[in-house]
Amino acid sequence: MSVVVMGVGYCGAFPTSGGLSYRELIRRAATMAYQDAGIRPEEIDAAISVEEDFCSGYSIADEYTPDQLGMVLKPMYTVPGDFLHGICSGAMQLRTGQFKTVVVESYSKASNVLTKDELVHFAYDPVFNRYGASPHYLAGIEMRSFLDRHCLNEEQVAALAAENRTRALGNPLAPFGARLDARDVLRSRPIASPVTELMIARPADAAIVAVLGIGEEAEQRSRFPIRLAGTGWCSGTSIIERRDHALSEGTSLAARMALEEARIGIEQADVVYVSDVYPHRQLMHQEALGLPKAILPHVNPDGGAQGTGELFEATSGPRFFDAVRQLREEAGAHQVPDAEIAVVQGWRGVPTDSCAVVVLSN
Amino acid sequence: MKNRVAVIGAGMTRFVRRAKETGPELAAMAVDMALKDAGLTIDDIDAVCLGTAPDAFDGVHMKGEYLLTGAGAKKKPYMRHYVGGGTGVLSPIHGWMHVASGKFRTCLVVTEEKMSSAFPHPAGAFLTIFDHTTEQPLELTLIHIFGIEMSRFMHVYGYTEEELALVSVLAKKNALDHPAAQLGAKLTVQDVMNSPLLSWPVKRLDISPTSDAACAIVLANESVARAHSKAPVFIEGVGYRLDTAYWNTRDLAFPNYVAMAAKDAYEMAGITKPDEQIDVWEPYDPFDYKALHHMNALMLDKSGRKTRELLLSGNFERDGSHPMIPSGGALGVGNPIAATGLMKIAELYFQLSGQAGKRQVKKVPYRGVAQAWGDLMQVGTVVVMASEGGMPRTTRWSQMTAKDLPGTALESVEQVENIKYTPDLRYRWDNGFALTTYLNGFKHGKIRGSKCHHCGRIMIPARSFCELCNLQSVQDYCDLPDTGTVQTFTLSHINWDSSPLPKGKVKIIAVIAIDGATPEMGLCHILGEVDPKDVKWGMRVKAVWKPEKERTGTVTDILYFKPIKGKTPDPQVTWIKPVELDSETAQAFPGKIPMSYIYTAGLGGIRFYTDLAKGKLSGTHCPQCNRVFVPSAAFCEDCMCLLDPDKDARPLDPRSGKVASFTVVHEDRSGHPLETPMVLVQVEFPGATGSVFGRLETKDPGAVCVGLPVELQKSGKNAGPEGVTFKVRGK
Repeated sequence: MSVVVMGVGYCGAFPTSGGLSYRELIRRAATMAYQDAGIRPEEIDAAISVEEDFCSGYSIADEYTPDQLGMVLKPMYTVPGDFLHGICSGAMQLRTGQFKTVVVESYSKASNVLTKDELVHFAYDPVFNRYGASPHYLAGIEMRSFLDRHCLNEEQVAALAAENRTRALGNPLAPFGARLDARDVLRSRPIASPVTELMIARPADAAIVAVLGIGEEAEQRSRFPIRLAGTGWCSGTSIIERRDHALSEGTSLAARMALEEARIGIEQADVVYVSDVYPHRQLMHQEALGLPKAILPHVNPDGGAQGTGELFEATSGPRFFDAVRQLREEAGAHQVPDAEIAVVQGWRGVPTDSCAVVVLSN
Repeated sequence: MKNRVAVIGAGMTRFVRRAKETGPELAAMAVDMALKDAGLTIDDIDAVCLGTAPDAFDGVHMKGEYLLTGAGAKKKPYMRHYVGGGTGVLSPIHGWMHVASGKFRTCLVVTEEKMSSAFPHPAGAFLTIFDHTTEQPLELTLIHIFGIEMSRFMHVYGYTEEELALVSVLAKKNALDHPAAQLGAKLTVQDVMNSPLLSWPVKRLDISPTSDAACAIVLANESVARAHSKAPVFIEGVGYRLDTAYWNTRDLAFPNYVAMAAKDAYEMAGITKPDEQIDVWEPYDPFDYKALHHMNALMLDKSGRKTRELLLSGNFERDGSHPMIPSGGALGVGNPIAATGLMKIAELYFQLSGQAGKRQVKKVPYRGVAQAWGDLMQVGTVVVMASEGGMPRTTRWSQMTAKDLPGTALESVEQVENIKYTPDLRYRWDNGFALTTYLNGFKHGKIRGSKCHHCGRIMIPARSFCELCNLQSVQDYCDLPDTGTVQTFTLSHINWDSSPLPKGKVKIIAVIAIDGATPEMGLCHILGEVDPKDVKWGMRVKAVWKPEKERTGTVTDILYFKPIKGKTPDPQVTWIKPVELDSETAQAFPGKIPMSYIYTAGLGGIRFYTDLAKGKLSGTHCPQCNRVFVPSAAFCEDCMCLLDPDKDARPLDPRSGKVASFTVVHEDRSGHPLETPMVLVQVEFPGATGSVFGRLETKDPGAVCVGLPVELQKSGKNAGPEGVTFKVRGK
C-alpha cells in the first residue's frame, strides 16, 4: 500500500508575523491541511512535530506541540530534524500497520529570536569549534573547498543566488523576491569569505503541515492525493574536522535511498528542490543528486530558501508544499509543465551534513 | 504485527553525577558495549535513532547532531526523537518503527544525557519548560510542579509521606545490585523523611539524582534476531500519548495519558489483564510517588487500590508477585533523563532473557512493561516486551560489575581541562490575537478567558481556537472574577534554580480554579498573606493586584492570591470585545535562556588541549582502521572501536600543517562587525586523517591561500577553541 500526502497547509512566509502567536501560525497551516485532506483532526491517528528547543525558546519544546494541531492526547512525538525527516518518520509509522493517518508539522518564528547568529554558534561542538566568530564560518570553509574542488568560481555561486531571488518574484508565498544580479550579490557585505550577506537566506516566519495517509480510504478522502514514492535520510560526520567540505555525503546517501525506493533515476524527476540556504550548497546538493552544477530551470522553481526564507527546521517545508502543488498543477506562474515526479531535498544547515530526500509523484 | 522486532543487545555506561567524557564519547561507549553484546559490528547496523532530552542540559543547540558520530550514525540514516522525560521509552518505539515498517533490518537505538554541563545546576534548565509568556514570570521549576502533583496525589489517594518513601527505599536497595548505579543505598523510611525539605511534600531523598550517562540497545527483525541471539526479547506492544500543554486543566492525581498509552501497548500485545499478565514492571520513577502514580495507570486502575495493596504488602519486591523497579530505577541507578528510560528497557531485556544476575526476579518472567513520563505532567510512553522465559543464566551481563562499565566520575569539572560558555539567547515572543487580550486584561485588573461554543468550556488563558474541538475558532472573550479555589499546592523552600530561599521564607505555589471558568481550568500562581501551615485544598482565595500604574500586562500584575472566606455567589462573567490587533497593540513578550555551561573537554579534548599547552600535537591511532585521527579522539567514527587518546597517541609535527581551506570572518558570534576580521583555517597534517581548525594570526588575510604552510602554536591552559591559533610557517 502506498503512503500518500492527503493534504498540505502553509502559512507564510513573513519576515515578521507580529499578529500571530506561534500557536495561531501553526493552527492556520493545520486547518488548511485538514481542509485539503478532507479530514478532521479527531480522525487523525498520530502526529509528529519537527522542531528544536532553542528555536522556540522552550525546553522542552515538544510540550507545546499538540494543541494547535488539535492532537491532544494522541500519539505524538517530536523529531528535531528537517521537516522532511518528519515526513520520513511519518511514513515509517504508517508502514508499521499500526496507524492509518499521521500529521507532520514544523514552523519557524525566527523573528522572535533576537540573537539568531548566537543560536547557530551554540550548535557547534563546545570543545573544538566555537571560535566566537560568525557561525557562517563553516559555510565559508565549505564554499571555498567546493569551488576549488570543482573549478567553479564565486560569480557562478552569486549568479545562482540572484537567479533564485528573481524566481521568487513569481512566487506569492516568497517574501524575499528581488531583482538582483551576480554583482549585487558579490558586492554585498562580506560575512565569512567567500560568503557574502546576499548569499545567506534571510530568516522568516512560517508554518507547514502535511497530512499523510495509507490505504484506499486515505486516497479517496483526499482532494488530490500525491504518492510518497520514496524516502531517504542520512548524515555525514558531525566532526567537521573530518568532513570533506566539498561534498554532501548526507545528500548523496539520502538520495540513493529515496530514489531506489521510488525506482527512478534523478533524470526522471520533472521538478527538483534542494536546499539553497547558501547558494553554494544548492550546487553541492545538485552534485550529490547527480545533477549538473549549474542553474537549472526545473530546480527550485519557487525561488528556493533564498526567496521563501530560512525557516529553521521548516526550511524545506515550502519546497515540499510547492512540490505538491506542482504535481497538482496548482503552482501558478512558476508551474513546471507536465510535472509528474518531484524530488525534494532538505538540509539542516550548518554545522551539519544531515539531509533528507523524498520523492513525490502524482 | 507486520514485522516482529527484538532487542538482541544492550550497553550502557556508569551513571555518574559528573562524567569526564563528553556526550559523544559516552554514547560511543554505550554503542560499543551494545554491539558486542549483540555480536554485531557497526556495519551490520542499517539505521540509528537517538533519544536525548532537552538541549539545555548538555548545552548544545541541535544536540542530536553533536551526538551523531558518537551514536555510530556517520553515513547512516539517523534521526533524533524526543518527548522530554518520556524520551527513553519513546526511543525503542521509534527504533521499533524503523524495523517494523520493513524499512530496515536492524536499528541501533542510543540515548544520552550529560546534565552536569549545566551551571550552576541542571535544575535551572527547567525554568524554561513553563510557558514563556504566561508562567515563566512566576519563576517556577520542575520540583515545584512535582510538589503540586505529589500533594494532589497524596490528597486524592490518601498516601502518607512515609508510605511514599517506601518506594525510594526499595529502589535504592535494588540499585545496589546494578553495575551502573549512581546512588544505590540501604535506606530507611526515616532517612527519607529526615532528608532536606525542598518543596513540600518533596524531600531530597524523594527525588532521583541528576546524572550523566548513555545507554544503547540493538533492535533487529525476527530473522536477524534468531540468527544472532539465543534469547531475543521481542517488543510486543508500544504506546505513547501526549496531553495538552495547558497542564492546569488536568487532574494531576491520575496520569490519563499514561493509561491511554498503556492501553495502546496492551492492545497490540494482546494483554487484557495487565496485573495478571505482566511479570516485571519498570515504571518511571524520577520521584518516589511517581512510580505509584504511574503504576495506577499501568494497571489501568484509577482507584489506586491494587497499587496500594501491593506496596504495603511488600509485593513490589523482586521476590514478590509484582516486582517493580528491579533495576533500582531512576531513584537508585540515576536519572540522565533519556538514558534512564532506555536503562529500564535494557532491564526488561536482561530480566526476560535471564541475564539480570543478582537483580533477577524470583518468578520466571515472560512479559514486562517499561514506561517513561515527561514534559509538563503530560506524556506517557509505554513498551511491552516478551520472551520465551527469563530463566536465569550466566552471561557477561549477569556478572557485570561497576568496574566493567565505562564512564569516569569526576568530583569537580575543574579537575580536568574544561571550557566555560554562556550563550546569549534572547527572544521576544509574539503574543498574537488571544494572548494580547488575555495579557491586556491583567493591565486592567482582570482575569480573562474565552469560550468555545462547541464544548462550552470557558478557558484560561484565553485562546483563539479550541484545542479539543477540531481547532474551531473561538470568538467570545470574557472578564472573570479574580477569585477562586485552591485545587492543589506546594510549599517551596527553593528558587527556580534550586538555590535555597532565605531561611524562614516559603514560596507557596498553587493551582487555583478561577470562579466562572470551566471547573477544571486552573491558573498557577503564588499564595500570600497566609501561613504555610494553614494552606488547605479547597481554600478560597482572591487576587491581590499591583497598583494600576505598576501593571505592565503580565501574570505578575497579580502579586499573589490571599485567603478569603465564603464562596462567591453566582460568579460574574462579563463578555467583552477582544483587543483589536494593530501595530501598537501587537506586542511581544521578552525572555531569555538563563543558563551557563562548563564543559569537560572529554578524553579526546583533554589530550588535545594538554598537548597544545605544551606546544605539541598528537593524533589517535585506530588499530582497526590503521589511521591516525586529529584532533585526538576516544572512538573511531568509522568502525566505532573505542580508543585511548593517551595509549593510542601518535605524535605529529605541529609545524607541518597546510591550509586545506579558510575563511575571513567579518562578524562575531552575535553578528556584530569585527574590528579586525578573523581568519579561520582548516589545517591538515601529514599522516593524519582529519584536520585542526583554528585562528590564523596574520596581518595580511589577502595572502592566505589553500596550501599555505602553517604552524600550530602553543596555547595557555584551558585554552578552548578560541585559544587554538596558527601562524604562517617561517614567520
